[in-house]
Amino acid sequence: MDKKTKTIALCGKGGVGKTSVSALMVKNLARRKDLKVLAIDADPAVGLCTALGVSIKKTVDDIRKDLIDAIKKGESQDKDATLNMLDYELFDALTEYNNIGLLAIGRPESEGCFCKLNSLLKDIIQDLAKNFDVVLIDGEAGVEQINRRVMKTVDHLIMISDTSAKGVHVANTIKHLAQDNKAVDYKSMGIILNRVRDESEVSNIQNNLPIPLLGWLPEDDLIREFDFHGRSFIDFPDDAKACKTVKQILQDLQIL
Amino acid sequence: MELFEQTFIDIRNYIEGKNSLSGVAKKRNTPWPSAKGRNVVLSDEMAVELGNPQMNSVSCLLWTQKPDLICDGKITLIGPDIKDSSEKSLPFGKVVLAEVSGIDEESAYDQYKEMEAVRYSLDLKGYMIRAVSQYQREWSRISREALQNGFSFEVLGGALREEYLKKDYIHAVEFLFVTSSAEDVGELQEITRNVGRTISAMNKMLSEIDSDCDECEYNDVCDEVDELKGMKKQRDEKRKKAHG
Repeated sequence: MDKKTKTIALCGKGGVGKTSVSALMVKNLARRKDLKVLAIDADPAVGLCTALGVSIKKTVDDIRKDLIDAIKKGESQDKDATLNMLDYELFDALTEYNNIGLLAIGRPESEGCFCKLNSLLKDIIQDLAKNFDVVLIDGEAGVEQINRRVMKTVDHLIMISDTSAKGVHVANTIKHLAQDNKAVDYKSMGIILNRVRDESEVSNIQNNLPIPLLGWLPEDDLIREFDFHGRSFIDFPDDAKACKTVKQILQDLQIL
Repeated sequence: MELFEQTFIDIRNYIEGKNSLSGVAKKRNTPWPSAKGRNVVLSDEMAVELGNPQMNSVSCLLWTQKPDLICDGKITLIGPDIKDSSEKSLPFGKVVLAEVSGIDEESAYDQYKEMEAVRYSLDLKGYMIRAVSQYQREWSRISREALQNGFSFEVLGGALREEYLKKDYIHAVEFLFVTSSAEDVGELQEITRNVGRTISAMNKMLSEIDSDCDECEYNDVCDEVDELKGMKKQRDEKRKKAHG
């Protein structure tokens, strides 16, 4: 039977530690050599790449800009040739680390409407994604960006929030955008609480959470230290609570 | 003169001047296993990489209607075969020579595109291909597992030949693979440069509504080759009719 790709997208308010959680997920996935993983950094600030200690040579947006320049110079080709070229460029833009391929989307589009081109790029990303066992998307704050710039369907939509009312409110807004406005198609939705100071915080807000709680990560000085020193989360200790919690979440989602 | 007549001669001379090995692209008794739509080979599982973007690479396809110019199934290899490579990454040159019939001025570009697409239809487990036809570049990877199972240029040539021969207008296919050095691939790039320009000229002629031939960068190519002249004439007549 053909293997099926499992797709996870992480989103949530800025500053809640979305990228650290994504990086810990990648760290856990990197240990499973039998899985091929595509990690997509959809944040314009390319935070996931930094958190994994990876330098990016080219982003999807660079490819897009090059193609627009070529078209402006009159170097147009038919659609098939363009698709094959984008596929080549996209694979060249992939940074590889063991069983992980890392793709950075880059900055949002500049002036002008290039919907057709964006749609072509999205198709190519989706085609590439089919070759992997797991696709993890570290999104921007808004879920609609995932649909517009990466892919329209994911298996697991995961909100990351701290325990603040504002964080939970944003998660609720994203839930409505995804659910009612169909900003992105998903099969399951859950929330991970991050930077929890003590377990009672979780008990206090658990009943008010708009979506099922997948797990919670404690406020962790080690995460802060890794962030502060720009250390790769691949080297994050396996026995740290944050790492073990993320691993458990991936197991519960049957990704690991 | 046919579109690529001179290039055929140049390629034969190129092969003669190099140390080469010949093999035959045979149909396998047991087909190579399918990748089931998963053809990405990451560097972690890769045995050999051919023509990556940092290396010299050239790939093109030439066709002729003259059967005596093609030795069906022949594979000429200049440089090490995949299993014999001491390097993980090799420069790569690939030329497909096809004997065809029924390709005329009207159908040439569409049939070229069909032939060009054949390499993407290969579904061989452990073999990944990425290519940009407009730059004549081809980048492929072979996994360690595929290499252990005997993947070679004979296997690749055999699978490609089978796919090409599915087109009813292709009757014979021959292959040249070059892995010896960046210089040898660079020399092949020079020899086949005009193939790329000819294809670009066709694309421009058929896709641009008001191209001005006097201003066109492919003017020299169109003037030199009879088939392109025919295409140009046919295009101009069509436009004349369309404008009454």
